[in-house]
Amino acid sequence: MQRLNRDAIIAIILLAFCGVFFLSSFDIRQPDYGVLMPSTWPRVVIGVLAFLSVLYLIQSTSAGAEAIEDDKYDAEHTRGPGFRGWLGHWRNPLWCFFLFFLYLLSLPILGMLIGGITFVYVLMGVLGGWDGNKPILHAVFAFATIGGMWSLFTFGLGVLLPPGMILGQF
Amino acid sequence: MIIENTIAAFVELGNFKTILLMLVGVAGGLIAGAIPGFTIAMAIVLTLPFTFGMPPSMGLATMVSVLVGGLSGGLMAGILTGIPGTPSSVATTFDGFPMARNGEPGLALGIGVWSSFCGGIISAILLMTLAPQLARVGLEFNPWDYFMLVMFALTITASLSGKNMIKGLIAGAVGLLVRTVGEDEAVGMARFNFGNDALLQGFDFIAVLIGLFAFSQLLNDVRDPKIAKKALTERGVVKVRIEHRRAIVEVLKRWTIVVRSSLIGVFTGILPGAGGSIANILAYDQAKKASKHPEKFGTGIADGIIAPESSNNAVEGGALIILMALGIPGDVTAAVMLGALLIHDIIPSPSFITDEPVLAYSIFIAFFIATFMMIGMQSFMLRVFVLVTRVRMYVLASVILGFCGIGVFALHNVTFDLWTLLWFGILGFVMRHFGFPLAPMILGVVLGNIAEINLARALAITSDLSPFVTRPWSLFFLIIAVFSALFPLYVGQREKKKTWTVFFMPVACFAASIPLFMMGGSARTVLAAIVLCFGFYQLWRRWQNGWRFEAEK
Repeated sequence: MQRLNRDAIIAIILLAFCGVFFLSSFDIRQPDYGVLMPSTWPRVVIGVLAFLSVLYLIQSTSAGAEAIEDDKYDAEHTRGPGFRGWLGHWRNPLWCFFLFFLYLLSLPILGMLIGGITFVYVLMGVLGGWDGNKPILHAVFAFATIGGMWSLFTFGLGVLLPPGMILGQF
Repeated sequence: MIIENTIAAFVELGNFKTILLMLVGVAGGLIAGAIPGFTIAMAIVLTLPFTFGMPPSMGLATMVSVLVGGLSGGLMAGILTGIPGTPSSVATTFDGFPMARNGEPGLALGIGVWSSFCGGIISAILLMTLAPQLARVGLEFNPWDYFMLVMFALTITASLSGKNMIKGLIAGAVGLLVRTVGEDEAVGMARFNFGNDALLQGFDFIAVLIGLFAFSQLLNDVRDPKIAKKALTERGVVKVRIEHRRAIVEVLKRWTIVVRSSLIGVFTGILPGAGGSIANILAYDQAKKASKHPEKFGTGIADGIIAPESSNNAVEGGALIILMALGIPGDVTAAVMLGALLIHDIIPSPSFITDEPVLAYSIFIAFFIATFMMIGMQSFMLRVFVLVTRVRMYVLASVILGFCGIGVFALHNVTFDLWTLLWFGILGFVMRHFGFPLAPMILGVVLGNIAEINLARALAITSDLSPFVTRPWSLFFLIIAVFSALFPLYVGQREKKKTWTVFFMPVACFAASIPLFMMGGSARTVLAAIVLCFGFYQLWRRWQNGWRFEAEK
């Protein structure tokens, strides 16, 4: 039942998403010229998406729970109970999202070189562990790869990557 | 004209820097293709930012080289470890790995490499000859036809890309909706920016692509903490020498399999939505059916390596034919190639080959040259592959995530693109988890504005909607879109022996013949008659079998 609800919930979220976009389509200014109004095409797409979402909802409620397959990882790994179990199950992707989020937030201060090296170093530590000589190896990897790539873009291709407040001083 | 353009393209590509970049591209592609969990599309997506500062021909030649390398790289992992490097080399493992285990890894690799080479060359020849012809046909297309072609491409991609077609169609529609964010192309009015000025420019297509495809794939690869900490392949990789001479003899002896499989590959590539992952299985299956000893398949025979490897290398030639001639990407890899063309301000269309002959032929020739380079590089890259397999997945994923950030920013020097990368990375990961295929969404994003612009053009000519069903090409695409949408239902119901499925293919043939007859001209009338006759033949066969697919024994 729980698995059946999952697809039904996605369908309902999609319908809500369509509703938000449909309402927002009334904020699009309509010019006095042109045959295809700027809101027409998005509304057509929203209409199609809403129709498909309704079909998906019907399909998910009418099909048995056994008809909905878990993905391979979920099928092979049992999740612990509660929020902790959920966090544990999604540990690595959540770390990736969170660290990338921090990397983007810190970009104006750390810049792409320092921020990038820090991001890769911390991510490697979080995903691979901090035991043994890993911290040193990770640091070497992070410096060599991100530093190399930064140099290639900055000096080789002439792309101005964000220096950040720290490197921007120099 | 063809000779002049070919010579001009050779001159364009024949400089040290381009050749060097192509070699690096082939090498990178070979390694990326060989790493299980990495896809060719991801390798090309990551190459894209580097090509931004290059002249178009150089940048595109580099990307084509990565593509050709990637197509051939999958066989190394498949044959030596039994784990296919890419989905397009799944069938290669069926016979490649047993042959390697039987003590002939060098021969297995050689057969794979030379089959890939032959498939690539046949595909390159067809690309050079068919693309200009198809572009001429494409010149007949009006906005109604283009709009319907896009609808067909989206429908067939959705129907071929997953078990659940509704999910595929939803993914395609979400892609179309994503593309509507920002100023509309026709009159420049702001849409769905929710008061955010950064959204006025819309989501950058490349950032969306890298987020959806590369970012989400990397997250998927490190999702399991245990697997993330393991080396790329736990099975030991033995050092081998590719046996070129013996392999060439084996491949030449089976030239019919090479040609047939290459044609299957090219045709699959032309079909929107169907890529190498389908072609290699299809070619393997056909080779098995045509073989006098089908029971030997799976035990490590040459036929079982030649068929999938010839076909998967031929696929991209087919996809490029449609891309270059009509501007419609056939699969995700071609969509990335389209992105590469767009960042160089080149918009593929039927007039592209005529307007930019040197550039178009540079792409053809680059495909050709890269196939030769692949042969030369394979032996060397095999050694690098052995080293790469020792790297842990989490190290590779972390570094590539860092590269993604630098690459996306470098495209337009806009920080908002990095946020786009993150949000679409999360969206792609969630979609993968819930079983939504990404290919239709990517095509939706790529084709969204093409559909809208052509709809606007069609309505600017006349507000009458009837040309969508009265113009032959538009009607043709509409009919095949409808039948391709119904195809998964047909396949499912056919197994349950539902009566209506007996009439599905004959009716599809009758319907498709109508617009072909409407097109006029002798060739198309003959083609329409053949399609019609085929429909009648199928109907007659079903009637003979008592309105069943096969007579009951």
